Amino acid sequence: MKLIKILATTTALALTASFAVADEHDGPDIFVIGDKPDDPFWSRVKLGAEHAGLVAEMHGGSVTWLGPQNYDNLGPDAAELIRQAIDQGADAIVAPNWVPEAMDPAFEAVVAAGIPLVIFNAGGIEAADRLGALNYVGTVDYRSGYAAGEYLANDGQSNGACLNSLPGAANIEAFCSGFQDGMIESGGSGSVLQLPATAFGDSTAMAQAVRAHLLQNPDIDALFAIGDQDTNAAISGVQQAGRMGAVEVCGMNFNDSILANIQAGTQACAIDQQGYQQGYFATSILINYVQYGTTIATREILTGPGIIDENNVELVIAGVEAGAR
Amino acid sequence: MPTSHRTSGKHSALATFARRPETGSLIGFVVVFAFFASLGGPVFIGAPGWSSWLNIAAEVGIIALPVGLLMISGEFDFSVGSVVPASSMTAAMLSGHYDLPAFIGIAGGLGVGLAIGFVNGLLVTRTSIPSLIVTIGVMFAVMGLTLGTAVLIKGSTSVSYVPDPTTKALLGQFINGMFNVAILWWIGFAAVFFYILHISPVGNWILAIGGDRESARNAGIPTAKVTIGLFMASGFCAAFVGVAQVMTYQQAQVAGGQAFIFNSIMCAVIGGVLLNGGAGSIIGILLGTMTFAVVNQGVFFAALDPNVGSIIVGALLLAAVLSNDSFRALAMRVAAKKS
Repeated sequence: MKLIKILATTTALALTASFAVADEHDGPDIFVIGDKPDDPFWSRVKLGAEHAGLVAEMHGGSVTWLGPQNYDNLGPDAAELIRQAIDQGADAIVAPNWVPEAMDPAFEAVVAAGIPLVIFNAGGIEAADRLGALNYVGTVDYRSGYAAGEYLANDGQSNGACLNSLPGAANIEAFCSGFQDGMIESGGSGSVLQLPATAFGDSTAMAQAVRAHLLQNPDIDALFAIGDQDTNAAISGVQQAGRMGAVEVCGMNFNDSILANIQAGTQACAIDQQGYQQGYFATSILINYVQYGTTIATREILTGPGIIDENNVELVIAGVEAGAR
Repeated sequence: MPTSHRTSGKHSALATFARRPETGSLIGFVVVFAFFASLGGPVFIGAPGWSSWLNIAAEVGIIALPVGLLMISGEFDFSVGSVVPASSMTAAMLSGHYDLPAFIGIAGGLGVGLAIGFVNGLLVTRTSIPSLIVTIGVMFAVMGLTLGTAVLIKGSTSVSYVPDPTTKALLGQFINGMFNVAILWWIGFAAVFFYILHISPVGNWILAIGGDRESARNAGIPTAKVTIGLFMASGFCAAFVGVAQVMTYQQAQVAGGQAFIFNSIMCAVIGGVLLNGGAGSIIGILLGTMTFAVVNQGVFFAALDPNVGSIIVGALLLAAVLSNDSFRALAMRVAAKKS
């Protein structure tokens, strides 16, 4: 008797759940494809998307975050997540264009199915135009890298290396080429240090790679890291190579320890993509589009790059404490 | 007569050396080191080069020792990949977020490792699920718990912690600005595990369990206790590396640590540990770890494409398994002839 009761309840719940998904008159169900939610940067993007999602919930809709389990097969994995979002009846989709070769067919399927699409975080307005997306929200990766290169070259550094711990991802390649151009056009020179894909997320592997590279190339006096964890590891590598003070480090994104390092002078600058805004604006554009049909006339909504250095670090820390960054 | 006697003695010394299980690992290490030394130049052979690969070796080595012991006893432990971030988050959370004394953070981090190891051991010994599956399951569960707890308590996925000078000196210091203090800990752990495997009676139990669990139990060996103990040792060692990383890099991240899973298994296998258990040695695991680390760091000194390093590690792994088999066949043949 008890078992039957449980079964009946479960079936009823399952039916309700499937009705909720199938109901056409519900509010907008937005699917956001992002990275692993345990990545510090992406946890902020996710928070922004969730906060925008409060409006969707007000209309009876939802925001669902889909992220890969790991970075081993990023492009195809993300393409698969996009197809999952279509299959689950998304009213609109937000996704980054990390690996165009692997992901473009999935984006074409989204547009072919008549589902509104916003590209965010990676790909730029070119990807949005090419794929027929409503808009692009994010930073231009090339400009982020360029800003770092320009900053370090203007700070008196002459030979910079970009630390690429995720070779093959389009946005990381753009960071690095932007960084190189930023250094070169401001009178320096630039190169790229490629790390094996298995090194991603391993601080010791990054620190030791940086150190070996600095020992073999004593001319290098500027480094650009592509994420906050890599930045901390790179600083440790500089320390172990005995080049503290001579080699300046700039990095994408920031966290508490990076802000402390900028305050203490061990890190020159951080490039802020303002991830919260990427998640927030991309999601809310689509919620309003699906709910009311409103559009944003401005194409290419840039959320960065912002440079954090010793001059404005106090303001940023205050912003973090206020929960705004 | 005396002449022939001497030759036979010399011959058998050489044969004994060739039959030692570590011989293959030693040859592998020497070849790989010579290769990168010729490409890497004086910096690689000097102190900066040595410290560079020893720092890598120490971290993966501390985990590879108990993982190797588990493999000798016929078990795998994949959960180390999530114990590393779980313990570093625990330590950073307790000492950094809640401002508790460093030793409480360290004890908390290590305790997490021991507890996860205990759960692994219990599940493996009480159920018939293979340890590979049990530890993969535990790995994912711990990963989720770490992320969930961090977001719940801290609202973010990274926690910073600046350790006091004593703690930093013990766990996260670079001696001479180069050699990570973890290298000394690695040597200490190696000594402890050497005692366990090669001197204490437990060592023979571990080998016997790996050879044939049923017979080992029938012979009166407390197999369940040994297995649970080994899992707790690998949990403890992975947690140790996690805690040491907090003290070194002054922050803990929810992600990361996954690389240790396959890297530690590779170190053990390159070091001559038999995949299905029953054979292996501490010296072998140490040599395997050093070989692995030399390849990983050598590519940067030799200015090779880092992906070449991955190819070499993969090839070494296969070569190690092949040479282990041939050395074992050789040993068996000589032993059979004697009797």
